Amino acid sequence: MAEETAFDPKKFKEAVEEKTNARLKMWLEICAHCGLCADTCHFYLANDKDPKMIPAVKGKRVLEAFKKKDKIDEEFLEDFYWTVYGDCTMCRRCTMFCPFGIDIATITSTGRGLCVSQGKVPENLVKTIESYYKHGNQMEVSEEDWIDTLQWMEEELQEELPGATIPIDKKGANLLYTVNAREPKFYPMDISQAAMVFYLAGEDWTMSSKGWDDTNLAMFAGDLKAASYISQLVRDAAEELEVKRVAITE
Amino acid sequence: MSLYELLRGPLLWLAFGVFIGGMIVRVVLFFQLSTKKDKPIYRFFSWKWLWLSIFHWIVPLNETAKKNPITTAVGFIFHFCLLVTPLFLLAHGVLWYESWEISWWSLPETVADYMTLITIGCGIFLALRRILLPYVRVVTTTADYVLLGVTLAPFVTGYLAYHQYFDYYTVLILHMFFGELMLVVIPFTKLSHFIMFFFSRAVTGMEFGRRRAPSW
Ligand code: HEM
Ligand code: HEM
Ligand code: SF4
Ligand code: SF4
Repeated sequence: MAEETAFDPKKFKEAVEEKTNARLKMWLEICAHCGLCADTCHFYLANDKDPKMIPAVKGKRVLEAFKKKDKIDEEFLEDFYWTVYGDCTMCRRCTMFCPFGIDIATITSTGRGLCVSQGKVPENLVKTIESYYKHGNQMEVSEEDWIDTLQWMEEELQEELPGATIPIDKKGANLLYTVNAREPKFYPMDISQAAMVFYLAGEDWTMSSKGWDDTNLAMFAGDLKAASYISQLVRDAAEELEVKRVAITE
Repeated sequence: MSLYELLRGPLLWLAFGVFIGGMIVRVVLFFQLSTKKDKPIYRFFSWKWLWLSIFHWIVPLNETAKKNPITTAVGFIFHFCLLVTPLFLLAHGVLWYESWEISWWSLPETVADYMTLITIGCGIFLALRRILLPYVRVVTTTADYVLLGVTLAPFVTGYLAYHQYFDYYTVLILHMFFGELMLVVIPFTKLSHFIMFFFSRAVTGMEFGRRRAPSW
C-alpha cells in the first residue's frame, strides 16, 4: 500500500537533478539492450520468463522517469512505483552478468528515491523510518526498554556464567557491538549468547545506549537522507565511546 | 568542390573532430560530475579491481560467456572485425598516406574482404536476435536498429565499392558518408560504450571488488 500524497512535479524534478550522477547517466545511456541479463533475474524466471521482467526493462523505466523529469503524471508515477518496488529486490545479481556491469539495483534504488520525493513509500517502511528518527532504531524500542533488556539479559547470563557482564557505554573499549533492533524486541537471548562468547574469548567490548541498531531500512526506500542519518547514529556512538571497531551483525 | 572532395576533405575532418572531441568531452564530463556526485568511486578506488574487471570482459572470460557461448562469440568477432578491418585496410592506408605520408601494416585484401563479410554476418545475427528473442525484443528501440544499421552501413558500402558493384562513384560517396556518420554519432549515443565500457567496468569491478566479490 502506498501512502497517498499530492503529486508534486516540481519536487520530482528536483529529486531527478539531485540524484543524477555520472554512473547513472553512463549506465542509462550505454545499455546495449542486448538482453544478456534476462535469465539472471529471479523475477524473470519466477514469472514464466515474462520479458517485461528482465533487468534492462527496469533500467529503462528509470531512464524514462529521468527523461520526463517534470512532465510525469500520476498514472506514470503509480506504474513506476510498482516497477521499482514490485519487480526488483535490488539484489545485484544481474550486475554480475551484464557485459558493462550495469548496476540495476542502484538504478532501482534511485528510482525509489524519486518516489520518496512524492511521498510514495510503502506504509510500513514509512513507519520504520519514523521510528529511526524518533527512537534511533527500527522497532520503536525506547532507550529505557533497551537498557532494561540489556540488564535483564545480564542477570540471566550471570546465572549461567558468574562474572560475565554486558557492559553499557564503556569508554575506550576495543569493540562496539551493535545489533538488529529485532533482537531486543523478539530475541533478547541472542544478546546474552553473544555476551557469553565475548566473555569466554576475553574480548574488551561494549554495548551503547544510543546508536545500537545496525539495520538501515531507509536504504530500501532509496531515502539517502534518512539512510545517512541512521548510519551517523552508529558512527556518533562509536566516536563518543572512543571504541576501536564496530561489529555490525546484520 | 565536388561531393567527393567535400567528403574526403572538410567533412572528414569534421567527422574525426566530432568523434574525438566528443569522446574527450564525454570523458571530461564524467570526471567532472563523478568527482562531485560519485564519491564511492574514488574512496574505494583500486587499480587491481579496475584491470581485473576490464580484462575479464574484454577477453571474454566470465559467466555470461559460458552461459551464452554463441552470442558471446558473435559479439566478440563482430567487435574485433569492426575495429581491425577499417584500421588495417589497404585502401584506407593509401588514403592516410596520400594525406599525411604515414603508413602502417595492412591486411591482405582478400582477408579484409572476408572480414567485412564476417562483420556483416555477425551484424545480421545480432539483428535477428533482436527480432526473434522476446527478451531482447522487449528492450529494443528503433534507435537500436538504426545504430546497428549505421554501424554496418560502411561495411556494406565498402564491400560494394571494393567489388565495384553498381556505380562505383555513387557507392564510394555513400561509403564515405556512412563512415563519417558512424563516427559522428558515437559520442552521442549508446555507441559511446566504446569508451564508457572501460569506465563502467572499472566502477562496477571496484564496487564488487571491495566486497571481495568478482563481478565476472
Ligand atoms: C573497445 C571497444 C568496445 C567494447 C568493449 C564494446 C563492447 C560491447 C558490448 C559488451 C556489447 C553488448 C554485447 C554484445 O552484443 O556483444 C556491445 C554491443 C554493440 N557494440 Fe560495442 N564495444 C566496443 C566498440 C564498439 C564500436 C567502435 C562500435 C561501432 C561503432 C560498437 C558497436 C556496437 C553495437 C552496434 C552493439 C549492439 C549490437 C546489437 O545490436 O546487439 N562497439 N559492444
Ligand atoms: C570516412 C572516410 C572513409 C573513406 C574516405 C573510406 C574510403 C574507402 C575506400 C576508398 C575503400 C576501398 C574501395 C575500393 O577498394 O575501391 C574503402 C573500403 C572499406 N571501408 Fe572505408 N572509408 C571511410 C570510412 C570507413 C569506416 C568508418 C569504416 C568502418 C567502420 C569503413 C569500412 C570499410 C571497409 C570494411 C571496406 C572494405 C570492404 C572490402 O574490402 O570488402 N570505411 N573505404
Ligand atoms: S543491462 Fe547489461 S546485459 Fe542487460 S541489456 Fe543492458 S547491457 Fe545488456
Ligand atoms: S537487482 Fe533487480 S533486476 Fe537485477 S537480478 Fe536482482 S531483482 Fe532482478
